[in-house]
Amino acid sequence: MRDLRIGLFLGLRQIQQASLWTTLLIITVILFTFLNLVALSGILIGIVDGALDQVRSEALGDINILPLENETRIKETERLIDELKTYPEIASFSPRYTGLATIEANYKERHSLSDEPNIIAVNITGIDPIAEKETTELENIVGEGSYFDSTENGYILIGKYNIDRYAKQFGDVFNSLDNVYPGDTVRVTVGQESREFIIKGIIDSKADLVSVGVYIPEREFRRMFNRADYNANQIAIRLKPGYDEKVIRDKIRDSSLASLGKINSFTEDIPKFIIDVRKTFDILGFFTGAIGLIVASITIFIVIFINALSRRRQIGILKAIGITRRTIEFAYITQAIFYAIIGSGIGILITYYILLPYFQQNPIDFPFSKASLSISLNGMFLRSIALVTVTVIAGFVPAWMITKQNTLDSILGRK
Amino acid sequence: MKSITGINITKSYGKDELVTEVLRGINIEVHDGEFLAIMGKSGAGKSTLLYQLSALDKPTSGEIYIEGKNIADFSETELVNFRLFTLGYIFQDYALIPDLSAEENVLLPLLMRGLDWQTAKTKAQTALTSVGLINRDTNLPSQLSGGEQQRVAIARAVAGKPKIIFADEPTANLDSISGHDIIELLHDLHNKGQTIVMVTHESEYVEYCNRIIYLEDGLIVPEKCRLINPLPNYANTYLTTGSTL
Repeated sequence: MRDLRIGLFLGLRQIQQASLWTTLLIITVILFTFLNLVALSGILIGIVDGALDQVRSEALGDINILPLENETRIKETERLIDELKTYPEIASFSPRYTGLATIEANYKERHSLSDEPNIIAVNITGIDPIAEKETTELENIVGEGSYFDSTENGYILIGKYNIDRYAKQFGDVFNSLDNVYPGDTVRVTVGQESREFIIKGIIDSKADLVSVGVYIPEREFRRMFNRADYNANQIAIRLKPGYDEKVIRDKIRDSSLASLGKINSFTEDIPKFIIDVRKTFDILGFFTGAIGLIVASITIFIVIFINALSRRRQIGILKAIGITRRTIEFAYITQAIFYAIIGSGIGILITYYILLPYFQQNPIDFPFSKASLSISLNGMFLRSIALVTVTVIAGFVPAWMITKQNTLDSILGRK
Repeated sequence: MKSITGINITKSYGKDELVTEVLRGINIEVHDGEFLAIMGKSGAGKSTLLYQLSALDKPTSGEIYIEGKNIADFSETELVNFRLFTLGYIFQDYALIPDLSAEENVLLPLLMRGLDWQTAKTKAQTALTSVGLINRDTNLPSQLSGGEQQRVAIARAVAGKPKIIFADEPTANLDSISGHDIIELLHDLHNKGQTIVMVTHESEYVEYCNRIIYLEDGLIVPEKCRLINPLPNYANTYLTTGSTL
């Protein structure tokens, strides 16, 4: 305890009297190491989280109701909807109806049966335009053209990957319609029944799930697909802010509604490979961060070693007048902890007050996601601990090396 | 009563054919309350002898007893504690810690002895008062003159009331006035019963000492050793025992 107390005292005095530039250099190294640790993995994970957020906000919502096993539709959808309206935690929900259809474009310009038709098979979704607008961001991701007007009939929204000029970058991955623009008329065929729709807009989402979709108003869907029972294929639910999706999911599951459909939280619906990708990015971030940590520890080691070496004589004198090695080592550890805490502290402040708000306002536009920084408090805490630990070791080792030298050799500067 | 006994002390540096023998069989005794000066030309081995006697270094061969304890038996930790509680040091270039104020330099070894902050501070102030520097206690060493720094070093050495003070050319870096002040301070301490072993090459300061031993080529030269102010009861011993003074 005595060693610790006096080591702390000596360390603080050394910090007070240290060169400002040396102090700034060390703190800067630690700061950038911290940012490297936090920001790189944060962006990597942010790419995945950004993609997931888009799927949540543009397609699935916070809670998703699907048909039970061996069912194609959610049972008693109307009763279920009435029940959902009684949940104060639910902000909105959107029932969706899906079915297979073909869409043909430019068929009026096809002069011969031998001409290849401009046609694709799609999974078409019937939506209530107002409910969907309240539940997802579909309205806001219409790139070309515009969203449905609730009073209109005969319009269709087509996901961009169904359009050749968007899909061709992926080669033959998507079957797509050539030369199709908002305002053009397409023919939608379900079984033997065909109907013309005017393209109202092109959905431009980074979430593939949304961009491969085709949307028409649900009343027209039910008419075309002859669906009179209102039993939906999916209901996306958006919760009011502050409510936990798992808690509300459990609440719904505990009600009689669980017998009508499968109630999943958004997290449950994330495909496993996406979770694996997230973990992979996390590991990648960890490794790159670890390399950063090693570089930082070497830098700090060199700076503190030079500092201790230049004070070798003082260390010898301290030992001569009865100051223990442990006390002197504590003094250097105190300095290292000081640098680490200040560096990490500034890093945390910069992350929370500059980087996070900045990236939230200006996400990085990756091809499949708009990524902002994804940093958990736990992750930040763990990284701070790792940095402080490495810094302490990097501060201790040079002090240990110098203090173990012969006292008189240190005083006289002998090798 | 003997404070220090050195028996056949040798010290050599280097290896094989490049060995340099700096001390070649020194026998020496320092008595309680004695003010001993070690003199000699440059390279005679004065400082090397002081380092051996003060437990800052270990001899190549021979034995050294300080306060009856063989310092060869001490572990490093025990040696540090022994130096802390028993010995005081004054170096030629003051050897103050530049990051600490004058007062902090003095109280540091006191804190190390386990004193609480307030007690250590009081003792440090007393020590600084005794060397006439109480009004400079908050100054850093860089803000003090050489003489003042050496006085702080003396205050540091005496604050813990060590049994023996070792001074390695304490006036070498000072002008004659400051040098005299320092010797006066040491003399005052000696008058209060303090045992002091001092290396010096300045003959004008040795009149304050009880005895001078003179080194040449790592050996004590009996003919050049002198009793200046013999301690009572030891007057006949020194000059009749050759190098075992």
